[in-house]
Amino acid sequence: MIQYIKRQGDYMQIDVHNLSFAYGHKSVISNLSFSLSSGDYLVIRGKNGSGKSTFLKCLLGMNPVKNGMIFYNHEDINNFKDWTSLGYVSQKFEEFNYEFPITVNELLNISSLKVIKQSHRLRALDQMGILDLLNQNINNLSGGELQRAFIVRSMLNVPKLLILDEPTASIDKLSTDYFYKAVNQLNLQGVTVIIVTHNDTIEFLNYSHLLTMNNDMTFTFLTKDRCKIAEVNI
Amino acid sequence: MFLSFFTDLFQQDFMLRALFAGIILGVLAPVIGSIVVVRKLSFIADTLGHFSLVGISVSLYLSTLGISIFFERPLYLGLFFSVVGGLLVELFRRSYTNYKEISMVIVISLGAALSAIFFSLSKKTGSLYNYLFGSILTITNYYVVLILIIAIVVAVLLIVFGKQILAVSFEETNAKFLGVNVNLFQFLFMVMLSVVVSVLLESVGVLLISSMMIIPVAAAMKVGWSFKSTSAIAIVFSELSVFFGLWMSYTFLIPSGAAIVSVNVIILLIVSAIRKIRLKMQIAKQKPLGENN
Repeated sequence: MIQYIKRQGDYMQIDVHNLSFAYGHKSVISNLSFSLSSGDYLVIRGKNGSGKSTFLKCLLGMNPVKNGMIFYNHEDINNFKDWTSLGYVSQKFEEFNYEFPITVNELLNISSLKVIKQSHRLRALDQMGILDLLNQNINNLSGGELQRAFIVRSMLNVPKLLILDEPTASIDKLSTDYFYKAVNQLNLQGVTVIIVTHNDTIEFLNYSHLLTMNNDMTFTFLTKDRCKIAEVNI
Repeated sequence: MFLSFFTDLFQQDFMLRALFAGIILGVLAPVIGSIVVVRKLSFIADTLGHFSLVGISVSLYLSTLGISIFFERPLYLGLFFSVVGGLLVELFRRSYTNYKEISMVIVISLGAALSAIFFSLSKKTGSLYNYLFGSILTITNYYVVLILIIAIVVAVLLIVFGKQILAVSFEETNAKFLGVNVNLFQFLFMVMLSVVVSVLLESVGVLLISSMMIIPVAAAMKVGWSFKSTSAIAIVFSELSVFFGLWMSYTFLIPSGAAIVSVNVIILLIVSAIRKIRLKMQIAKQKPLGENN
């Protein structure tokens, strides 16, 4: 698996306090509160329109948090600067221009300002099962291969928190299994994971917490015993 | 025909200047053009060109009023307005996040309107033709030195900040998580682009700037397999178009900018045709296998 060496200070506590969000006059989230500790694995479930993506955008600093608060390591998200401690894999990469020729290697090259050893990149790709795609144009990759390339990218900066927005929505079953296995192992190595996913894929996940968001803006936040990890480890 | 072209190329100063400037622009335009295409802002060069024209028309108008101390060369005010146009595009882009092209329509319209007003006030509408279609054969030594300096500065900036600029260009949202200051590098690239557009204005003209930047990249995308290879192929196509464009301009006495862009389009058509034929041949080869299965 991707080598994730937990360093001193690699701690990520997340606190959400009475978060509310509205698009104009239309409320989408109301008084959402929960806390996560470092190494937790949160699955967010909910139907279309329940506010999952809106909430993720709040967590990612893309939606302004005005009503309620989000804290990363006790720091208000509005003052938070250490965004490199977050890794993000979006649903369909709508924003990524993957029509322009760029190889996986070039993608990884522009994805970290730090000097990353080529051996580290190769190992990460190998562990994701896409080492042979290093010099492939990403245009030629399948949805699953592309997702795995993007998760390698998101891990290059060794994030403390990995946020995944329905990452398997457009990929096949085999790639989905591979993908979740990789995420589960990253979590076991200490990365805090927040994932928005479909109900039918939840059995693959090693989640420790489950947030269910409903269309009437109610929510349930449950913890799950971590002993499940062993039994769902594919 | 080629022989006399080559003889004159190295004997006539104006030809040598045009060739030298063309070689530099042949690298500069597609390199910046590649990033513009990645950002899906292909229309922006036209937009900035039109806004750059405002600066030139204002400069000409001021000179009629006797104010020409700082604006002796219209190029500088054109460059300033090109940067202003770039910043306006960024500003409007944020207001219309899902309709980014609207920002360019607003700026290009404003640019065209203001240019028309100031050219009319300056009563120098005769010079408009040169700015619309450019003329690389009439450029001065001063201009050649200027584009050389700009090319060096752009190259240094791309070597130092290329990673950040590409990260922001390929995916703005994710760049923040890579530690890239998105606003800063968007601003930096917009300034670089504005400067390149304003220097291209004198050689190929407002109406042909985007062709010089985008068409070689569009052709290279059909055969490139990586970002580096696509950019390199775009440079080769661009240099070929400069050389053959100059030859056409010299031989058939047609405007140089138009000739260069025409060669660019011919290259694009040839590359597209070859690619289509190769794809058809590949499909034809695969068909019998599929039928056996």
